[in-house]
Amino acid sequence: MTEIYLRLVDKILTPIIILIAIFLFLRGHDLPGGGFIAGLVAASAIELTILARGAEATRDRYGPWLIPLAGLGLVAAATAALLGLYGGGFFRSIWLEFYVFDDKLKFGTPQLFDLGVMFVVIGMALTYLLRLSEAAEATAVKQAALEERVEESRL
Amino acid sequence: MPALALCLILLFAAAPFFWLIRPHRSLVFAWLAALPPAAVTVWQALQLPAIAQGNVLVERYAWAPTLGLEIALRLDGLAIFFGLIITGIGACIAFYTAYYFEGDKRQGFFYLVLYGFMASMLGLVWADDLLTLFVFWEGTSITSYLLIAFKTDYKGATDGARRALIVTTAGGLAMLAGMVILGLHVGSFNISEILATPGIANAAITPVALSLLFLGAFTKSAQFPFQFWLPGAMAAPTPASAYLHSATMVKAGVFLLARLHPAFSELDMWFWTLFLVGGFTMVLGGVSSIRYTDMKALLAYATVAVLGTLVMLLAFREKYAYEAFVVTVLAHALYKAPLFLSAGIVDHAMGTRDLRKLAGLARVMPVVMVTVVLAALSMSGVIPTMGFLAKELMLENGYQLFEHSEQLVGGLMYVAAALAALFMVGSIITLIWEGFFRQQPDEEGAHLHHAPSFGFVAPALLLTVLGTIGALFISAYENLLFAPAIAAISGEPAELHFKLWHGFTPVFLTSLGVLAVGFVVFALRQLLRRGFAAVPQRLSSLVVYDSIVDAIYHFAYRLTVLIQGSPMAPQASVTLLAGVLVALYAIFLNTERTIVILDSLEIPGISEWLIFALAIFGALATVRARSRLSAIISLGVVGVTVTLFFVLFGAPDLALTQLLIEVLSVILLVLVFFRVRPDPAIELDRRRAFRLFVAIAMGFFGFAVVMINHVTQVGESISPYFLEKSYSLGKGTNVVNVILVDFRGYDTMGEITVLGLAALGGYALLRSPHIQSLRRRIDAARGLNSQDGAPEVSAQQKATELGHD
Repeated sequence: MTEIYLRLVDKILTPIIILIAIFLFLRGHDLPGGGFIAGLVAASAIELTILARGAEATRDRYGPWLIPLAGLGLVAAATAALLGLYGGGFFRSIWLEFYVFDDKLKFGTPQLFDLGVMFVVIGMALTYLLRLSEAAEATAVKQAALEERVEESRL
Repeated sequence: MPALALCLILLFAAAPFFWLIRPHRSLVFAWLAALPPAAVTVWQALQLPAIAQGNVLVERYAWAPTLGLEIALRLDGLAIFFGLIITGIGACIAFYTAYYFEGDKRQGFFYLVLYGFMASMLGLVWADDLLTLFVFWEGTSITSYLLIAFKTDYKGATDGARRALIVTTAGGLAMLAGMVILGLHVGSFNISEILATPGIANAAITPVALSLLFLGAFTKSAQFPFQFWLPGAMAAPTPASAYLHSATMVKAGVFLLARLHPAFSELDMWFWTLFLVGGFTMVLGGVSSIRYTDMKALLAYATVAVLGTLVMLLAFREKYAYEAFVVTVLAHALYKAPLFLSAGIVDHAMGTRDLRKLAGLARVMPVVMVTVVLAALSMSGVIPTMGFLAKELMLENGYQLFEHSEQLVGGLMYVAAALAALFMVGSIITLIWEGFFRQQPDEEGAHLHHAPSFGFVAPALLLTVLGTIGALFISAYENLLFAPAIAAISGEPAELHFKLWHGFTPVFLTSLGVLAVGFVVFALRQLLRRGFAAVPQRLSSLVVYDSIVDAIYHFAYRLTVLIQGSPMAPQASVTLLAGVLVALYAIFLNTERTIVILDSLEIPGISEWLIFALAIFGALATVRARSRLSAIISLGVVGVTVTLFFVLFGAPDLALTQLLIEVLSVILLVLVFFRVRPDPAIELDRRRAFRLFVAIAMGFFGFAVVMINHVTQVGESISPYFLEKSYSLGKGTNVVNVILVDFRGYDTMGEITVLGLAALGGYALLRSPHIQSLRRRIDAARGLNSQDGAPEVSAQQKATELGHD
């Protein structure tokens, strides 16, 4: 499952796509984008790595947090909702606004919630993609092994 | 100062903290771990004088103000009494845990759940709102489940955990229904307000609501016929058994009954239910305890007996019953937790806690022996321990009733209490004799791995000593600790004067008699064990429960086979045809409107026609495809044309999402079909014609329903509101995103929870035994390749193996 061209594409494109995902996430509250879309984009980027290098190499590259990411996302979303208690009730939004030179920056609990959505989407998509490609790889390895054995038995 | 909330936040925050610092690295963390509950204990102790004067601490936080939901906490006599037990024993358990899991990597996880439980339990007893109480109640059920199933690879543990979870949460759901009925009737979920409502005991809804609340309390506190989950929960690590399943969580049901006592105890229903259920559970638990040779199972049944006692005591509205209740709660926590902790130490040191394999432990662990003997004195009710006082007060209650008005009830209670007590005395003597003093075990004996260090025993010893000498100084704190709790249970102020020594009263003589007969039970223990073993199994509620669960599984299996036994295509046909029927019905209801729609249709522009043509082309290619791969890709084309429509009508967010979903689902489908058997040759047969008909019908009527929906608008559209308020309320100009993460945050929360569950399901499903065995076979194939002289594999065999994939 390790194709040389795909590896090249992966090397160049994956970081760019992940950057696009971050970009889409950050602008999501005001322009098209947001946690759900950014999560899907990030998942596609990681899927590119899976296709190019196989599931195991992907796990090695992105670390052990890939699958628990879904749970982490839920925790982040719940935290955002609970922080709202400070603002007068569960799920009430709290915003901080400040200026860096002339640009207004704002951070709020809905964005933390959106981050949680993104994590859940990535975690969910990758659970399936990793598991299925592992199974597919296993099938491929098995076929190759059987073919080899058949060859041997013919000799 | 929001002190109550801060205490809860401290404990909740300690949970992930102790997980992240990886406490198994050093025993120093034992002290650190004991610190948060100890701090809360000290804080509560400082509140005692104020509470004793009749003050209460109330804190209310808005949860969803528009729905009238709030988190209400209230520290009164009963709450602080249970709260002190929870955090005080919690500190000892936290300390002990560090030794129990010394060097074990999962220690951090244990602390995570333990603290989560501690905070939930404390929130439960402090709650002043029924729904707040329910949330914390479920919190204790879930943490209890995680702790029982701690040894995930041991089937006894996971089975026991599942039973405990199903029984307690089923009861919890019944209780929630009771709470809602009660809350809606009163118009408030605030517990103090509900209890203060005049005439609530005689309201029409009360019998129903109360029965449901009883179900919750009885399942949680392991009352007959739900007592079976508690011994099964003994698969939990010992600190959890000592803490959850004897000292605190199982008393949550008892606590709930004590909370409701002032308002409902005047009812006959209240008295008879509690008296009979509690009394029977007490006798059943006490008598059963002699049967078991597993130290923890023996102690678990003794716990069931005490829980029964507590429920029975709450049936009464007598002075002695109240006093016996509070003293029993404290005494039980102070002797049963050390007994469990000692059983854990024995287990840790010897590798078993089965009495048949143990003997002569007194020589190798003298401090543990002292702890167990002292705790046993309190459990058997030997003067001057706190257990003695508890038993005296309980017997006194029965005796007074018998002497004065209620001969039957008093006599029954007196006899039942004595009966349960003498069996418990017998079993605890058995435990001490067989475990610690006799020279030869029944079976091949276990050997000492390593003697317990003093720090391991210290928490148990501390609790035992408190329980032993605590009764001697009871006058120093009786009105500080017990009186406010009694006042909260009875609803009237209380003044206490406990006396240990009353002279040779009938009650004291009975107490002595119980001890003496307890020795007889001990002497006859082998006979009794054999006798119990002869009782038919199908009478036990565990077997009944298991057969009910099995029947449900079996029914679900049969139903699934019936509905989903056929291949995918016919199933899909049934579903789609059902959809067509619904669409036909909708059109039938809206005949006039349908005609209007057909008249008002606009002719689309050229770009729409082009995209439309592309979609049809994609659909045709899908149907005509000769291989799965090309079918999947053609289907992707259809999806992309839908994306184009979204772009055309100015919905960039939808278009982006749709496009990404199309890409990912094509990849997913390719991966899935990679694993499925190679295509059978796709044939054009009659069934295919039928499926074509279904597909066309579904497509046409689906279109019709969308059109009808488009013109049939119920009420005013909410879109302008969102457009208008998006920036002012949601601080964002992307309305779609603001709706998702802010206006409809609750919806999204539910959706991502479903996504998370889908991830879990996929994770479990895709590592199912089938795939596991496949992987093993592949590894085996690899292994064969690397060896010389691999067995011959014929081409025939290859074909069959590939075909089985």
